[in-house]
Amino acid sequence: MLTNQMPAAVHATTVLDRTEPAPGIVLLGFYAPELAAVTRPGQFLMAIPPGGERTATALGIYEAQDRRVAVLFSVCGPRTRELAGLRAGDRLEVTAPLGNGFDLSGSPRDVAVVAGGIGIASLLLPAQALIASSARVRLYYGARSAALLVERDRFAAEGCEIHCATDDGSYGRRGFVSGLLAGAEPRPDLVLACGPTPMLRATAAACSALGVPAQLSLEETFACGVGGCWGCVVPIDRNSAQAPRFPGPDKGGSDTVNARVCKEGPVFWAHELRW
Amino acid sequence: MSGSQAAHAAVDLSVKLGRLELAYPTLMGSGCYGSGEEFAAFADPAKIGGVVLKSVTQRPRLGNRAPRLVATPSGMLNAIGLQNPGIDWYLEHDLAERVPRPWKTIGSVAGFSVDEYAYVTQRLAARPEIDAIELNVSCPNVAAEGETFACDPKLTGRVVRLVRDTTEKTLIVKLSPNVTDIAAVAREAEDAGADALAVINTVRGMAIDVGTWRPRLGNVTGGLSGPAIRPIAVLAVYEVARAVKIPIVGQGGIETVTDALEFFLAGATAVSIGTANFIDPRIPERIVEGLRAYLGERGLLSIGQIVGQANRGFAGAHRCEGREG
Ligand SMILES: Cc1cc2nc3c(=O)[nH]c(=O)nc-3n(C[C@H](O)[C@H](O)[C@H](O)COP(=O)(O)O)c2cc1C
Ligand code: FES
Repeated sequence: MLTNQMPAAVHATTVLDRTEPAPGIVLLGFYAPELAAVTRPGQFLMAIPPGGERTATALGIYEAQDRRVAVLFSVCGPRTRELAGLRAGDRLEVTAPLGNGFDLSGSPRDVAVVAGGIGIASLLLPAQALIASSARVRLYYGARSAALLVERDRFAAEGCEIHCATDDGSYGRRGFVSGLLAGAEPRPDLVLACGPTPMLRATAAACSALGVPAQLSLEETFACGVGGCWGCVVPIDRNSAQAPRFPGPDKGGSDTVNARVCKEGPVFWAHELRW
Repeated sequence: MSGSQAAHAAVDLSVKLGRLELAYPTLMGSGCYGSGEEFAAFADPAKIGGVVLKSVTQRPRLGNRAPRLVATPSGMLNAIGLQNPGIDWYLEHDLAERVPRPWKTIGSVAGFSVDEYAYVTQRLAARPEIDAIELNVSCPNVAAEGETFACDPKLTGRVVRLVRDTTEKTLIVKLSPNVTDIAAVAREAEDAGADALAVINTVRGMAIDVGTWRPRLGNVTGGLSGPAIRPIAVLAVYEVARAVKIPIVGQGGIETVTDALEFFLAGATAVSIGTANFIDPRIPERIVEGLRAYLGERGLLSIGQIVGQANRGFAGAHRCEGREG
């Protein structure tokens, strides 16, 4: 993965726009010129709670362009509900950019971008970057129902080919997005995926069957978001370039080590995960 | 500068814990602030009294399986399981590569035997980068059934006595709230030579996923922190303050200056801020400014003047033994 080069900072921003692309899903844009200039695809931010209660909320950065940064999130608890209550003109502080993003350095020509539900939020920036470098980008997008397949027109407008799956068959193919990916013709050279853990596991399995390398942006509960608490770990291959420098454990001769999703990740190579 | 600002600036916030002199009475809680560097870009390092480093053990530990964190009402559960590289690697890399900072650095030692505590303390305390040692005898996430050294007054006394012989530096003993009589443990630690007591470590807790019928932490049980435990922690400080003469570092759910003041009034000489750093790393410096203003407005000159004031006049009151049955 590309390692974070820009040091993160606390950015004081002002909310520019707020829309609800589907009930319970919010798109929040804010004025953050410096952040927009340095964010790379796959990075995230920690939104400092406006009320000063509760821990900060980690959100993938959806858009970063022309002085505006946006996040796209589903309202699933008190923290996201508080953020969803923000309106244009409100102030919001964010710590960003955080984490290591997707590695797009191998000049991939044909990339499958795989989203499970709100995981779509981390995939627009890499899709845009790939299209800008003239790669073919296919979006494989799964959600529970048609209404939750938010922003698919946006990806189409950017130049992605769109393939959808829904659990209830209300749009696209009925079933999981990993099943859709398994039938991808022709085979892509690279897969980038973001979504809930079971969906990422199924995507990793489909990619290994196809023989295609995959980068997964993991979902995990964060406390600090900056590598200070070791609360967000995932076991990975000790020989991975992302493995934290760490001596061998006591017993078992284990060749895995716990990496922090917020610091060494959130994007990992699927074949290096030992989950 | 206006008159009242001048008065605030004159307020003395420095405190002493044994030989350890702190410019501000605020420590960053062990395990919540990494090595300090993770947060240094978002906070003002010049306004932090000290950083208690993540606990280190003799051998490397992979820690507990994920998930290690669960958000709960007014707090969080954690079960990290003391993931750390072991003392050899820690001294050679983590400590050696540290950026010098104006805050005091307190090394935190954990272990599974009395000898391990003594060995790790001796090696860590020998380093000039370390200003003091905190003994974490109270981590609830590694021992069977949450039974820690700090659950047993006699065992606590044995560990502290042995460790005391290995260093002259300030020794802070971190107590567990998961006991019947925390004052008894505090007295043993004091008798054994502790310079100060950290009160409290996390409270044991658990959360269950009603969808999967499984515990939500990989380790099943965890330690509760944040405002949810604050009243438990304030009481613990209050009781320990009556039992011992050595200074107390109060902690558990401190997010604002008002929260911190409760601890000082209950008998803490300094406070420690852990989980609140996950809300906003600028909270500790806001607490320092808030303390200055609070004391200045009351014409008080030093933080020491309010320590333990809530204990005045209540000696012996409210004890269960005293109640008629
Ligand atoms: C994620 C996390 C990790 C912790 N790790 C340690 C540790 O390694 N050693 C230790 O002595 N205390 C550890 N603690 C306990 C804190 O230092 C502190 O005593 C406790 O959380 C109560 O204070 P708070 O409510 O301000 O967080 C940890 C707490 C949290 C939340
Ligand atoms: S959330 Fe603290 S280390 Fe990742």
